[in-house]
Amino acid sequence: MSSQPKIFRAVLLLLFLSLVGSTSSSKAQTAKPPGIAIARRAAEVREGASLFRANCSPCHGLGAYGGGRGPDLTSGRWTHGSSDEAIFATITHGVPGTEMPANAFEDSEVRAIIAYLRSLAPSKDEAITGNAKNGDRLFHGSAACGTCHMVSGSGGLLGPDLSRVGAARSVTYLVDSIRDPNKDLSLGMTDPNDHYGLPLLYDTVTVTTNSGEKILGVARNEDTFSVQLMATDQRLHFFLKSEVKSVVHERASLMPPYPETFLSASDLNDIVAYLVTLRGQRVEAPGAK
Amino acid sequence: MKKSILIALMAVAALLASATTLHAQVTYERLRNAPGEPQNWLTYSGRYSGWRYSTLDQINVNNAAHLAMRWAFQVGDLGQFETTPLVVDGVIYGSGQNNRAFAIDARTGRALWRYQRNLPDKLQICCGMDNRGLAILGDRLFMATLDGHVVALEAKTGNLLWDVTAADYRKAYSFTLAPLVVKNEVIVGVSGGEYGVRGFIDAYDAATGKRLWRFDTVPGPGAPGHESWSGDSWKTGGAPAWITGTFDPELNLIYWPTGNPAPSNYGGDRAGDNLYSNSMLALDADTGQLKWYFQFTPHDLYDYDATQIPVLVDANWEGQPRKLLVQANRNGFYYVLDRTNGKFLFATPYGNVTWAKGIDAAGKPIVNDALVAKPEGTRVCPGATGLTNWYSPSFDPDTSLLYVATSNECDIFTNSPQQYRAGHDFIGSVYVPDPEERPSGSLKALDVHTGEVKWSFPFFSNPWGGVLSTAGGVVFVGAADGNFIALDARTGSDLWHVQLGAAIYSTAVTFEVAGKQYVLIPSGSALFAFALQ
Repeated sequence: MSSQPKIFRAVLLLLFLSLVGSTSSSKAQTAKPPGIAIARRAAEVREGASLFRANCSPCHGLGAYGGGRGPDLTSGRWTHGSSDEAIFATITHGVPGTEMPANAFEDSEVRAIIAYLRSLAPSKDEAITGNAKNGDRLFHGSAACGTCHMVSGSGGLLGPDLSRVGAARSVTYLVDSIRDPNKDLSLGMTDPNDHYGLPLLYDTVTVTTNSGEKILGVARNEDTFSVQLMATDQRLHFFLKSEVKSVVHERASLMPPYPETFLSASDLNDIVAYLVTLRGQRVEAPGAK
Repeated sequence: MKKSILIALMAVAALLASATTLHAQVTYERLRNAPGEPQNWLTYSGRYSGWRYSTLDQINVNNAAHLAMRWAFQVGDLGQFETTPLVVDGVIYGSGQNNRAFAIDARTGRALWRYQRNLPDKLQICCGMDNRGLAILGDRLFMATLDGHVVALEAKTGNLLWDVTAADYRKAYSFTLAPLVVKNEVIVGVSGGEYGVRGFIDAYDAATGKRLWRFDTVPGPGAPGHESWSGDSWKTGGAPAWITGTFDPELNLIYWPTGNPAPSNYGGDRAGDNLYSNSMLALDADTGQLKWYFQFTPHDLYDYDATQIPVLVDANWEGQPRKLLVQANRNGFYYVLDRTNGKFLFATPYGNVTWAKGIDAAGKPIVNDALVAKPEGTRVCPGATGLTNWYSPSFDPDTSLLYVATSNECDIFTNSPQQYRAGHDFIGSVYVPDPEERPSGSLKALDVHTGEVKWSFPFFSNPWGGVLSTAGGVVFVGAADGNFIALDARTGSDLWHVQLGAAIYSTAVTFEVAGKQYVLIPSGSALFAFALQ
């Protein structure tokens, strides 16, 4: 990674100049009045904001507060390292095993994006007060989350695998997803048909066969002539559209909402505390120190 | 070796060369009369009028269900395989990703030669390392390259004959289109509208590679239209010309459409109509001089490139025979122009359009000001990829229908200014598909006179492939979900389809060799050939 030594050298140089300036030379002082540095930084943040909107916001949201696909970048929790160097490596190389791709930015552009991210006010994420151990018990027990969601190799198949949901979603998002699953629908497997490689939505799909049987589930894949359905019984069903009566999509989650009458505020806190601990197997970004 | 033997051998070689060369010559006359040799596919759109229609009818509505794969040819690069292959006397010439080119035996799929351009490492290409095809004249093939060059290859060997620089790739100028050959000219239009290039259309001498003329699609100081740009915005104004034009030999006019003004999604720093972005240009074929223009989307904020094939149709219009140019535009409206003078005749939406309330009597859009992009985002239809895009439409004279693959997607457009930096993205903002609506698509059959949708065939995903129509009454279209589909041209009913395993980013062509009609379609990294069992 050529850029890190470069940053390091620049910092050393500035340090040296400022030391020299303060002790003996007046030339160095006039070269860099603080106003210029601040203006330059403001321009860098503006450039970073523009780059972020164009390249990062589709997954991380317009204000970097997290989208359906990428984590909140204002939470102060940096799964792949919080130093400038680590974030630089994450942006440049991506994170293998996740949806974060490598990016072909110039070094100055990456630095501008980092400057922009650093300039953002931290999100008002609620403090995590719950008991994660109890959350684990509830998740796999009475709250029945594990019936549909898998964590680290055990659990159900119908909903998204949550093994690293703590690294990918904000607390607010997790709370919303439990109380009101339809609020911001998740995305499913990557849609092979899509120009941008966007994932298929977790649409609820109902197939009605010619004999009138209704099969409810989530489409694992679909094209113009066929649909591959994971039904609520967690079995795979394959249909040719020409051989069924109808295939109906519904923009609604199959997950039932968990209102307070169903899941107390304290139990919810515990489950969220458990989810936040789920960070999958830590994958180092290449070049991260 | 004795001198006399040497001379004799050279004479024999010369005779052989001239004999075979004569056989392979694709003259301008042949290109002009391409509809008269339907066994071949000699130009990007199959004929100068842009119809993408073939009079072959061995494959027809009654037997299309019996199509079967005859061979596949692997190019070697996975991605958006956008080529339109040419077919000349039993040989297929095509291009692939990263400026590959190839020649193959049309009956067996066996390669005769392969060529790959040595490209620089750092190229700024908006949407994939794509190339849409070659052009042919005489025994030469022409390719416009991703690093801003135009090259000529020898058709029998793939040897490089000449290589000229048209533009600077370090400033993100590139070529992705198939050239158009007219007379002795190789005509190309530049890509790079996402990087603030200044667009142009060039003509090169097919024999030498010498540039014969250039038309700047953003007029410079003193030229008419320059006043449609505020300040210095014209210098980075975009208006690329990245799809192959069409040609009317009788009028001696080339019709070439242009793309978005730059930055595409922010107009605050380029006040004015921004000529000749999103326009149809009619250029004199010999000089490149502008005869007329028609701008579809002035001061565009939604990336509505007009880079759809201009289709030239002679038809009765209000009782009079008239030379028409029709275009189903990316902005969602179907347009009919008089191609002799550019006069606007008619426009109508052919899908969901919200950015404009309609088109006025002069052909100008009545813009819906309430929807102009805001910093926090505004939902606009069609989305940035348009109701249709660069993929080819097809005009079928038997049905008088224009077949257009369409995308059903609305986008949330945000709005923010951006500083130009040479060789960098210059888009102005970002758009995302409306998260509440899964994008889908359809093939629409438009009445060429009225724009009325006569039938529509739904695709699960929005398409990236175009349409071929044939005298057999069969329309072929490739879907982004990997299905290659044959439809009844009159009703839109599905006659046959096959899943090819990768999105289709191109348009089928058809040809005949040894008495058999084939249909060719690229998908993934392979070219597939289908014929009747």
